Formats: sequence, structure tokens, C-alpha cells
Amino acid sequence: MNKTKLLELIAQHTRDVLPGLDAHQFTAGDRLADLGANSVDRAEITMLVQESLRISIPRIELFGPKNIGELADLFLRKLDAA
Amino acid sequence: MLPKVAVTGVGVIAATGQGKAAFVTALLEGKHAFGVMQRPGRQHQSNYLGAEIAEITFSPDITQRTLRTCSLSSRAALVVLQEVWTEARLAEADPRRIGLIVGGSNVQQRELAQIHEAYRESSAFLRPTYGLSFMDSDLCGFCTAQFGIRGLAYTVGGASASGQLAIVQAAQAVLMKQVDVCIALGALMDLSHWECRGLRSLGAMGSDRYRDQPALACRPFDRDHDGFIFGECCGAVVVESIESSHRRSVKPYATLRGWGIVMDGNRNPDPSLEGETQAIQDALDASGLLPAQIDYVNPHGTGSATGDEMELKALRLCGLTGAYLNATKSLVGHGLSAAGTVEVIATLLQMQTGRLHPSRNLENPIDSAMNWVRGKPVDHQIENALTLSMGFGGVNTALCWQRHHA
Repeated sequence: MNKTKLLELIAQHTRDVLPGLDAHQFTAGDRLADLGANSVDRAEITMLVQESLRISIPRIELFGPKNIGELADLFLRKLDAA
Repeated sequence: MLPKVAVTGVGVIAATGQGKAAFVTALLEGKHAFGVMQRPGRQHQSNYLGAEIAEITFSPDITQRTLRTCSLSSRAALVVLQEVWTEARLAEADPRRIGLIVGGSNVQQRELAQIHEAYRESSAFLRPTYGLSFMDSDLCGFCTAQFGIRGLAYTVGGASASGQLAIVQAAQAVLMKQVDVCIALGALMDLSHWECRGLRSLGAMGSDRYRDQPALACRPFDRDHDGFIFGECCGAVVVESIESSHRRSVKPYATLRGWGIVMDGNRNPDPSLEGETQAIQDALDASGLLPAQIDYVNPHGTGSATGDEMELKALRLCGLTGAYLNATKSLVGHGLSAAGTVEVIATLLQMQTGRLHPSRNLENPIDSAMNWVRGKPVDHQIENALTLSMGFGGVNTALCWQRHHA
């Protein structure tokens, strides 16, 4: 799993939760809140990514990342450590 | 006597049709949709019979985003609320003066069971929305968000009497001037195979006798009845004062003249002649109506052997032998939490059309002297109607309705 693939996975699950984003071109600088995700949507998206990766991350650590690039980095670190 | 509260809008969905026009047409044509239930999570080593809604049609402004985390009960609520919103012109009412009472408890059991089964071995990945949606009051949150309702909203539960209790609660909110307009919703009860099993084991749900003939299984008040047959449905009615209806120039269907709510002091499912008679008597007394003035009764009539018999005895004791009588559940099935609301809607639509719907499978009534509407619809202008709903745990409810003469 590299960062490009992880960004694709986050984009895919963001589209699952926010179907209006089908045409959006995701970049590492995208913020989920700016894309229209409320706090429940963000929790859903990060949980779907965790389920796809079969990796469980404490909620408190998921508050850190400021955009989906940083979120991808967090998942990569966790995958490396696992 | 109570100040008049009126119903100014109705919305409904059942397996036989979505929207009041389709619903009442199906009723008058005697249509049904009973079969072996197919919805995922309804069967497990079983062949339970029931009537399921094949498809729900949403207006184009309802987005996929809204529907993604929307339960079946919420979806049904959404379409019936849209129907009343338009008919009662609620966009013209002050959102702070609109309330919503959701009738029913534990209504989303099938969806919850599906989630439990899917995540049993991987609970760490349970969808966060489960933390919201497992509560019935999520229906209040969902609906008030969709429609911008800013008055009160909460759920009331009383087993199969929930739908009528919601209407009573809505009327009380209006009479107490907590809101000007209050919507009562009979929530769609979404049974999982677990509830079906429990209801069968309890002896409440049929049908052993008609296992291979689903069309014949639902037969309230017929000698061959062997329990209720489930039917998915959901209904909403708008309750307000006549003065309030004038402000938005909406036309009342009828006024709610009085009601009776009586407990039997009995946790069990068995009915009580005393409780039912008292509820009917209380409703008549509150309405200032004499039994002879009631010309139509929409009974609870589930198809339960003891329940059907007890109900007819209660009607006889109360002097209600002259009124027309039919069984809405013979066509729609038993909606449990929704039944009371949906059957009030059936009553109001029959009042509006001047026709009474037939009762399916009523071949040999257990009491043939009652004034049944059986195989064919009957032309009749309902003036005063009585609607009955009873629930497990000894709940008896009776509502009296009167045609509104402007």
C-alpha cells in the first residue's frame, strides 16, 4: 500500500458517504469538512477506510490530520507499525 | 366536550400502494399483497407470510446522501410526511409551531439485526451511525431535520395501539397550545426474523392453516382465522384546530371528538372485554355521541381468535351493532406500530369518498349478525366513526371521528 493507493481508498469511501462527489478530483490537500462532510460523515469515512484496511485506530488519533493527505500518512504509519 | 381538533392532511404507504389515492383505490378494489416475505433478514429457517412494500418512490429532491443511512422506517416516514406537508400546506406554517409525534417503539429491529449479524466478528468496524440510528428517536431527528420542524418531537409507544396513541398525543399537544399543528406518525414496524419467531411462538402471528395459500391467510373475524398477518405500512396525519386550518385555507377531513385510553392491568397479549368496552364507552362519553349515532366502526380486527371475538362482544355491549364494519387489516395486514394511524387514514378516506371497502376472506363471520362490508364496497356517507386499536400489555384505545361540516 502506497500513498497514492491510500488516497484512492479514502476518495472511494468519501464518495460512498457523499454521493454528490462522483465527479470530484481528489487531491492530498482536500479537507473532508470542505467537501461537505459533517462530523458523523467524517467518522463514517474513516471507519470505512479502517474496515477496508482491517486496521483499528483509536478515535483520538483520527482528530489530528488536517486533510486527506495527512489522513493517508496516518494510515500508512499505522500499517507500517502493524 | 373537547374543543374541536381536525385532521387536515393524511399521508400513507402500504404494500398495496403509496400515497392516499393509490391506497384508497386498492382498499376499495379489495387488493392485497400477501405472500411469503422476501425482505433480507425477515426469514431464518422459516416461511413467514406478510405483505411487503415492493418499492418506495422518492421525490427528485431527496438525495442519495440522505438515503444512504436512512432506515426502511425512515424512508417510509419521509414519503408520508412529504405527502402531508404538501396537502396541509405546512410550508406556510411557523416551523416553531409544528410538532411531530412518532408512534411506535423498537421499530427498526430488522435493520439492527442485520447490522449485528454483519459485524458480530468485527465489531471494531461498526458504522458510527449505528450510535444514532439504534434509537427510535432517530426518526424524530431525521424527520425534523428533513422538514425543518422546530416545535416538539418525541416517540410514544403502546405496542399495536401506538398509532392511535400518537394521534391522541398530537391532539393533546394542540389542545394544550404547545404547537399549532402536530403531525402524528405511525412508524413502519420493521420486523426481523427474531420478532416474527417470537410473535409466532406466542401464538399471535398466523398462519399454520394457510401456510401454502398466502392469499387466504389474513382473515380477521372469519371462523378460520388463526392469528394476524404482518403488513408493512406507515401513515401520517396532521392534527390542528379549525381556526389554525383556516389560517392556511386547508380543508379538514374530520374532527376528533373524543377518545378513550384504558389499561387492563395485564402485561400479556390477551384481550379484555372490560377494557375494550370501557375504552369505547369513554370515547363515546367524551364525544357526546350516542352509540346509535356511530355509523361506521374500523375495528382492531387482527385475525386473532380471541381478539376478534372479544372485540365484537365489546361492540355489542356498547350498542354498536348497527354500524357498518370492515377489516382494513384483511387488505393491508397488521402494521403493528403503524396500524392505528393507517386505519384512521383508511377511515377518513372512506369518509371522503363515500364508499366503504370490502373485507377479504370474510367468508364465515364469527358473528354474522354484525353489519359487515364483505365482498364488495358499499356506498355510504360516514357521519360518525369509531376506530379501535389494542396493544399487548393491556392497552385499549378508541377514537371518535365526526365529518366536518364547514
